[in-house]
Amino acid sequence: MRFVLRRLGFFVVTLWAAITLNFFIPRLMPGNPAEAMMSRYRGEHLNPQALQALTVAFGLKTHESLVGQYFSYLGNTLRGRFGISLTFFPDPVTKDVLQALPWTLVLVGVTTVLAFLLGTLIGLVGAWRRGGLMDSAMPPIFVITSAFPYFWIAGIAIWLFSLKLGWLPHGGGYDPIDTPAWTWHFAHDAFVHAILPALTILVVSVGGWILTMRNNTIAVLTEDYVRMARAKGLRPWRIMWTYAGRNAILPNLTGFAMSLGFVVAGAILVEYVFNYPGVGYMFLNSVTNEDYALMQGLFLLIVVAVLTAILAADVATALLDPRTRDLR
Amino acid sequence: MSAPSVGATDDLAAPPAGRAPMLAEMRHGRWGDLWRAVSRNKKALVGVLLLLLFTVLAIFPGQIAPYSPSATNFPTALGPSWHHLLGTTAYGQDIFSQLVWGTRLSLVIALAVGGVATVLAVLIGVSAGYLGGATDGFLSLVTDVILVLPIFPLIIVIAAYEKNAGLLTLIVVLGVLGWSYGARQVRSQTLSLRRRDFLESARVRGERSSYVILHEILPTMTSLIVAIFLGSAIYAVLTAAGLQFIGLGDPNSQSWGTMLYWAQSNDALLAGIPLWAIAPGVCVALLGASFALLNYAFDEISSPALRVRKLDRRRLPNIAPAPEPSEPIEGVDPPVLKVESLTVAYATDAGPVVAVDHVDLELARGEFLAIVGESGCGKSTLLYAIARLLGAPMAGEIVGGRVLFQGRDLVLLEEQELRAVRWRELSVVMQSAMNALNPVLTVAEQMRDACQAHSNWSKAEIEVRSREVLRLVSIDPVHLHSYPHQLSGGMRQRAMIAMALLFTPDLIIMDEPTSALDVVAQRSLMVQIKELQEELGFAVIFVTHDMSLVSHFSDRLLVMYAGQVAELAETSELFDHPLHPYSQGLLAAFPSLRGPKVRLLGIPGSPPNLANPPPGCRFAPRCPSAEPRCIAAEVALRSVNGSLVRCVLPEDAS
Repeated sequence: MRFVLRRLGFFVVTLWAAITLNFFIPRLMPGNPAEAMMSRYRGEHLNPQALQALTVAFGLKTHESLVGQYFSYLGNTLRGRFGISLTFFPDPVTKDVLQALPWTLVLVGVTTVLAFLLGTLIGLVGAWRRGGLMDSAMPPIFVITSAFPYFWIAGIAIWLFSLKLGWLPHGGGYDPIDTPAWTWHFAHDAFVHAILPALTILVVSVGGWILTMRNNTIAVLTEDYVRMARAKGLRPWRIMWTYAGRNAILPNLTGFAMSLGFVVAGAILVEYVFNYPGVGYMFLNSVTNEDYALMQGLFLLIVVAVLTAILAADVATALLDPRTRDLR
Repeated sequence: MSAPSVGATDDLAAPPAGRAPMLAEMRHGRWGDLWRAVSRNKKALVGVLLLLLFTVLAIFPGQIAPYSPSATNFPTALGPSWHHLLGTTAYGQDIFSQLVWGTRLSLVIALAVGGVATVLAVLIGVSAGYLGGATDGFLSLVTDVILVLPIFPLIIVIAAYEKNAGLLTLIVVLGVLGWSYGARQVRSQTLSLRRRDFLESARVRGERSSYVILHEILPTMTSLIVAIFLGSAIYAVLTAAGLQFIGLGDPNSQSWGTMLYWAQSNDALLAGIPLWAIAPGVCVALLGASFALLNYAFDEISSPALRVRKLDRRRLPNIAPAPEPSEPIEGVDPPVLKVESLTVAYATDAGPVVAVDHVDLELARGEFLAIVGESGCGKSTLLYAIARLLGAPMAGEIVGGRVLFQGRDLVLLEEQELRAVRWRELSVVMQSAMNALNPVLTVAEQMRDACQAHSNWSKAEIEVRSREVLRLVSIDPVHLHSYPHQLSGGMRQRAMIAMALLFTPDLIIMDEPTSALDVVAQRSLMVQIKELQEELGFAVIFVTHDMSLVSHFSDRLLVMYAGQVAELAETSELFDHPLHPYSQGLLAAFPSLRGPKVRLLGIPGSPPNLANPPPGCRFAPRCPSAEPRCIAAEVALRSVNGSLVRCVLPEDAS
């Protein structure tokens, strides 16, 4: 518990760092984009209310000092006031963000968990059957697939399965003639639209998990406790799971943070290629539309999502490794 | 740990093997060896060739590409032909020429970002690990914050404000954000190096920090540094392509990502120019894969455990078959264990090495046999061969001989049949309980799985038996539900012995079970083992390198040298009248408590390389009394005064 609380403290620091970056990046760039933006918005004849909202979004209050601006920005962010989106004017950013969030949570969340579990399992079994067909074929194949760019695989998948074969829809989160509702029909529609993007993320990300788990397992198999388990005459199944697997997965969970960065980057591009109505698509669109308030809000949301996932991996580590629980 | 908040887990959880084994070999950088290893590894070779190809393309695009990449004077959307190998774009540019010219930017970004990230990772990691204290705390915190911040979205945010970001900006941003993972590894490697002797001695000699870092620390990190470089190069290739693909950066630059951007915005796949979209992606993937393959191969080269070696039996020396099993003699108690001509070989890169060479031994019921010898003499291999526990990590194989245990030949048993024998009749105690007990299970759970594998006891019965065996080794049963790391070293070792007693087996094999303890604890544990043995009547094979330790406990002593039995005798006989010069040397290396004062002599030289053992007597090169006949022919084991000795010198008194 102490371990998790301490990690929680660390994430607060990280979140603060992200918010601070969000505040300073537009100010530190040559020509001060934040100021430039505001003057452009003024030129677009936005109503005073919208201008006010934008001022909030950037913490830009010209009569205040930089420090004062920074603290009012921090306060606004913590209260969830990210300003008003230009793209979806006059919606507050929070509203749009919350609309996009479930799509990404389901698509990227489910595929990431699935890829992690699947990769871990394949890596474990492959290493356990050392020298077998699966073990010798695995490394070169997955070393190469995990070097594929996500967005390119996405493009090829659309071309092949949607345009050539016509099996699956080529983009979007649901049929444009549908309206989102809690019906079976819509759920099915959303599922069909999610298959190709999900498979794309799965195919590229699973390789990394397989390879690290395989190498961890091979290292763990040389440990004395595995030999001891054999000496005890335990069933191979038991040795594989509770002696090799449970110890080999621990560094994989620690490495989650690193690998997640790649998956998030990939998922953003996959959503973009598929026009999937999630956070990543909205994020890239906000960049194209120069909707900076929306972009900043989405960036923070992505940071929070990544931190939550890493925290979940930490909780899993604490559950699986008694030594972390006893750390003082 | 001076970084309190984070990074604590990987020091505990990381498997110890990793890159460590090669590090020792590669100290002071032996690049020649490295190159030989790379050229033997197929994955490394493919990676190097791909990288060479791209390097040539990047340096000489003008000579290789048939047209200018920006020339738009061709018909649009052509299919592949001899004039246009990959066809033309919707703007009438030659796709092949664009690909060739695009190589340069991708490769420059990969190498430059790899370089920047690696330098930063090493600088920050070494500083944190070497300086320690508050510096380490601060640097580690920054490292970990950057590690968990999602970099790609952050770069997009930066690029969104800095629309005309050029190549230099991209490299700087990617490099500045991409060093954290490497820095973390460098830091923990530095921390572990700091505890090593050679660094201590450098510091004691008064070397400057900069000298120690440059000459002692960095050379041992060669393979880690290469891995960080390759890892950040992959990340750079993919991230840069992703950014260019969504139109960030200069849309007029010649790069694969930019080609993909234009292909996407022209719906190349729909418009019947699929190669426009496919070819640049393949190139990105191939360049990424070449770095990834190199990285992976490097991992294989630096941790030998990752490679599978097959034992080449044809290259083995002749192995004499074991003698025909003799009929049991009426009235004489058959031995618990009878090992006949047991021979074990290891597969190495240089061919098979025979580590245990035709060993015979016999063990009566309730007997205590000690096996002694220097490290590397094959004693542990012999032990694990008897218990049929060879395999990873040592990957040795029994290539001849018999292990008759209670009348059955264990060598011939299938793994499934062996399981029935294990632990009920034959259990094992290992050198370090810290490593031999599963760190994620409690002692109770580890006792329970052994019980469940061999009995149908209820949970309550298992609990009762577990408490009972703990009491046998004088551990308070309150510790039953503790994890191994919660026990002291002595307690862990006792708990492992308790575990071996669960079914009161006929034979317990012990591999230096006391060597991890201090002298007092060693002594009391030996006494306890002996008492338990007398009480419960199991036989013991006890391996140790410390002859004096077993002098009062073992019935017989087996001295091993270079994979062979050098001498086998009653313990008191061997201590009083050692016959083999090697045994004499071993004894002279220990002070005697009684008897006259003598100079302590070690044995000069070191054990022979078993891949190429010396001719004749294997001890001859180090033997003070060697004669020409010693190296003339193999020396057989012979009986002298009731002892067995592999030496031509001692005369039989009878």
